[in-house]
Amino acid sequence: MFEPKIMSFICKWCTYAGADLAGTSRMEYAVNPVNVRVMCSSRIDPQHIFYAFSSGADGVFIGGCHPGDCHYVEGNYKTLRRVFMVKRMMKDFGIDPSRLRLEWISAAEGGRFVTVMNEFTQYIRELGPLDFKTMASIDEDSIHG
Amino acid sequence: MNVHYYPGCTLKEKAVNLENSTIASMKILGCDLQEPRGWTCCGAEYPLSEEKIAGLAAPARILRQVEAEGGTKVTTTCAFCYNVLKRTNYALKTDPLKHKRINAFLKDDIAIDHDTKEKTTGFPPYHGNVSVVHLLEFLRDDIGFKEIRARVKRDLSGLNVAAYYGCRLLRPYNEIGMDKPDDPVIFEDFITSLGAQVIDFPFRQECCGSYVSVSRPEAASEASYRILRSAKIEGADVLVLSCPLCYYNLDRQQNLIKEQHMEFTGFPILYFTQLLAWALGENTGSLGLEEHCYNPAPLLESLEKAEVAE
Amino acid sequence: MNQNRPKKKIGVFVCHCGINIAGVVDVEKVAQRLSSYEGVDFSVDYVYMCSEPGQKLIEEKIKERQLDSVIIAACSPTLHERTFQGVAQRAGLNPYQVEIANIREQDSWVHSDKDKATAKAARIIKSMVEKVRRNESLEPITVDITRRALVIGGGISGIQAALDIADQGYEVLLVEKDPSIGGHMVQLSETFPTLDCSQCILTPKMVEASRHPNIKILTYHEVDSISGFVGNFKAVIRKKPRYVNEDLCTLCGECEKVCPQVVSDEFNEGLSFRKAIYMPFPQAVPGTYTLDTDSCLGLLPIRCGKCMEVCEPMAINYDDQEELFEEEVGAVVVATGYDLYSLDHLGEFGGQKYPDVVNGLEFERILSASGPTGGVVRRPSDGRIPKNIVFVQCCGSRDPENHNPYCSKICCMYTAKHAMLYKHRVPDGNATVFYIDVRTGGKNFDEFYQRTIEDEEVMYVRGKVSKIFKEGDKLIVWGADTLTGDKVEMEADMVVLAMSMVPAQGAADLFKRLKISTDINGFLAEAHPKLRPVESLSSGFFLAGCAHGPKDIPETVSQASAAASKVGDLFAKEKLFHEPTVVSAEEEFCSGCGICVPVCPYSARSLNRERGVVEVNEVLCEGCGACAAACPSGAAQQRNQTDDQIFSMVKAILGE
Repeated sequence: MFEPKIMSFICKWCTYAGADLAGTSRMEYAVNPVNVRVMCSSRIDPQHIFYAFSSGADGVFIGGCHPGDCHYVEGNYKTLRRVFMVKRMMKDFGIDPSRLRLEWISAAEGGRFVTVMNEFTQYIRELGPLDFKTMASIDEDSIHG
Repeated sequence: MNVHYYPGCTLKEKAVNLENSTIASMKILGCDLQEPRGWTCCGAEYPLSEEKIAGLAAPARILRQVEAEGGTKVTTTCAFCYNVLKRTNYALKTDPLKHKRINAFLKDDIAIDHDTKEKTTGFPPYHGNVSVVHLLEFLRDDIGFKEIRARVKRDLSGLNVAAYYGCRLLRPYNEIGMDKPDDPVIFEDFITSLGAQVIDFPFRQECCGSYVSVSRPEAASEASYRILRSAKIEGADVLVLSCPLCYYNLDRQQNLIKEQHMEFTGFPILYFTQLLAWALGENTGSLGLEEHCYNPAPLLESLEKAEVAE
Repeated sequence: MNQNRPKKKIGVFVCHCGINIAGVVDVEKVAQRLSSYEGVDFSVDYVYMCSEPGQKLIEEKIKERQLDSVIIAACSPTLHERTFQGVAQRAGLNPYQVEIANIREQDSWVHSDKDKATAKAARIIKSMVEKVRRNESLEPITVDITRRALVIGGGISGIQAALDIADQGYEVLLVEKDPSIGGHMVQLSETFPTLDCSQCILTPKMVEASRHPNIKILTYHEVDSISGFVGNFKAVIRKKPRYVNEDLCTLCGECEKVCPQVVSDEFNEGLSFRKAIYMPFPQAVPGTYTLDTDSCLGLLPIRCGKCMEVCEPMAINYDDQEELFEEEVGAVVVATGYDLYSLDHLGEFGGQKYPDVVNGLEFERILSASGPTGGVVRRPSDGRIPKNIVFVQCCGSRDPENHNPYCSKICCMYTAKHAMLYKHRVPDGNATVFYIDVRTGGKNFDEFYQRTIEDEEVMYVRGKVSKIFKEGDKLIVWGADTLTGDKVEMEADMVVLAMSMVPAQGAADLFKRLKISTDINGFLAEAHPKLRPVESLSSGFFLAGCAHGPKDIPETVSQASAAASKVGDLFAKEKLFHEPTVVSAEEEFCSGCGICVPVCPYSARSLNRERGVVEVNEVLCEGCGACAAACPSGAAQQRNQTDDQIFSMVKAILGE
């Protein structure tokens, strides 16, 4: 049974606190996503996202604060714009853009964090593995025509 | 100038004087009114049926027909029709379910030409983009109150006119949006453009009794009485309005009002288009004033200054 | 970029947290697995890492094994990061060499499959090992503090805050846009629940503020902009030309007598008139006249000049100019106060049409002994004493659909006060109050309200008012009595509307310029609604009074003193410490493209065109990392969260 690998980048002020709230509330969710805490979702570079896909992630999740609530004023708006751009690039690379998910989850939304993690994991499970290695591999013979 | 015009059923029967004065005044202002072909009743009450969707099919169809005839705008004088048509557009634009279901109804529509009996089908969907404007808005924005002022042939400065909005022209605000519901000015600006004196009175947006005149006429007439009394106390000579039902309650029910209030001696009511037509030079005989319960003709004719300069 | 793997000795300490972690995650297995991970010199599990023995264990092992960095795999860093950083410091280790792996809130508490939770714990810890491997030892950035406060707004909240800060020994600049301090409180007649004369209790404070050696009052001034950061602000203040020298003016009043221009008096809420050269009220501080150029016939060229002719002390100077100057301050208290929601919004009450329909402040002026009617309750239209007066509560408040959703807090109390005072002065009059609820939560408030009903026999009708209009001489009020279910139509000689409090006019603009956040109603947003009510999220800005939300005088004074106390906290520190996890601009790799500069919300980065590289003001950098993500060359790296670190964390998580 294919179990997707989900790389999760979450911001310290909102989503990380929301994930902690899910913990203190003892809510259960899929074991697949593993979190990396950043100060702000705007720290996430398109490089990091593509690195995750090329390192075996089947799905990448970014969690930030609701628009207007960013601790650093407008970081989440920058994240939003970057995600739009990355999705277009993913399409060009042949990676289904829906493998990248951006959600605004506040420190009070422990329940929402759980719902999103479960939903996204199930979605990627149904979508299937990315199998980046096969996708990215070059047929040596084809180079020589 | 040419614009699509939706009269609505009442204007062809009970409110013929409203329609005739509308057509006459628009003609003088150089505007041709084009009725959409094969129009039906708009439903009169928004929305008509319990299901709240089927009742929107008829008004949507009217608007679609305007669009099919190349029109982007339709104007109307009946306040009920205005309210229904405008809110139909709003429903189509904001509710995806209504949009889907109404267009499903319209898709099956077959339009039959009355003269040639030709059938037309396969209309494209309607998205709520035909602009619905009340004639007051049309006069303000498309013709311009300045233009009207320039065309006015009578001196109305001795006439004190109170504008009665009723409810349908202004509410609900977020769907109609013609003017501020608690302090509107468009009707007053119209009266000023005719050169008449505006009388502000506190009952200009209070309900006239509406449909209640069918089930409990005394209740409706009481509501209407208060409106007329207030206008009179504030010094108005005449009340102008835009809705045939308001006209019915405020004019045609004046006999019932007299029964309930001995001191009430009647009060003249005019459709705003009758006043407009008269101001533009039409004479009192052509306005259908004899159909009124309280004939306003003597009042108008008594204004010496208002004689048309030959 | 930097592919060198520093050869650090890392210690891993896995906490059981009783059974909170160990009940799901096999902590022994995890500790064992990590012991063979690259760079991990020592790995152990223990039942309660945060306990004294647990902390001692860590301290000992750091010293014993000369560890360079430690990972504590336990609960969320929000709980004990500081604790374990303290342990490391005691062991002589830089606190930034400590990282927490969250294997409780984000692992053992949310998963039930033990094998999977254990495997996940190992991944989480490995990712933190990868991070700490590359962590630099950092020292907090220290900043000096300017121990001087700026208070914006000279109403009761501003005055109280200024007095409290000044009494602590610090200099205060009190800036007020009107010609005098005092705000709205000085317009009030009597204050609830004691019926103290408002001016009698306020003017001593106003005088105290003017005499205080540490307070500099700047009236008829406005704050233009504030730049800088906490402890180091530069405020640009605009002095509006008064055309009268406050030090020379003797208040003789001759200028006022000869001035030909008569305009509406704002202090009396438009119920009376003043001249273009005027004193807002007799107890104004500073005690001086002011020439209002908006109503003056003109100074360029001089159209009148009569006031200057008669001024013996020669205090009037038509050449007075606007001035802009800069002041350095360390803290700002924003106390801009409130205004009342305009009657224009209530068309159903006639808007501003009916002079006998007034708002609370107008009624205060009518009640005031120093007001336009000398304290006799008279109708504005004809001066008659109203025998039937109606009060309407909740005008424009508690109305999410059409007006303001919030409760304006003080109206129930001041309406009861107004009704009571009316009955005192017109004992044979009838007072009716239309209400939705009566909210009297403060000390002695409910007792006051009960007196209004029982002793003064004021009639309270529970229902909203739907329409107010004039018929002849009288006002007609349409409302409802929801307790009896009846429609109510009553005649009134005068109606007083309890209009909603809103943030002061012009405040929205000021808040935008100062970049301090507000809530959806335009009131200042506090850092935390319960635990930090007098601070803004913008460090160094404090809030007091109605600028933060509707409140009465007791609460306002409390909040102003609290804000002053917070300012004192700030000034008591020797230096300010700023988090060093800022984003650098490595000159080696910076091409001077300047992309990172506009990305920063704090304007911490700037492009040095001569040298062709970007420079960072580390004190302004808040460490969000947005510029680091934008930098195309990787010259912008966040300390202890570099791209390298993120890549290695990702690899550790997704590997095997």
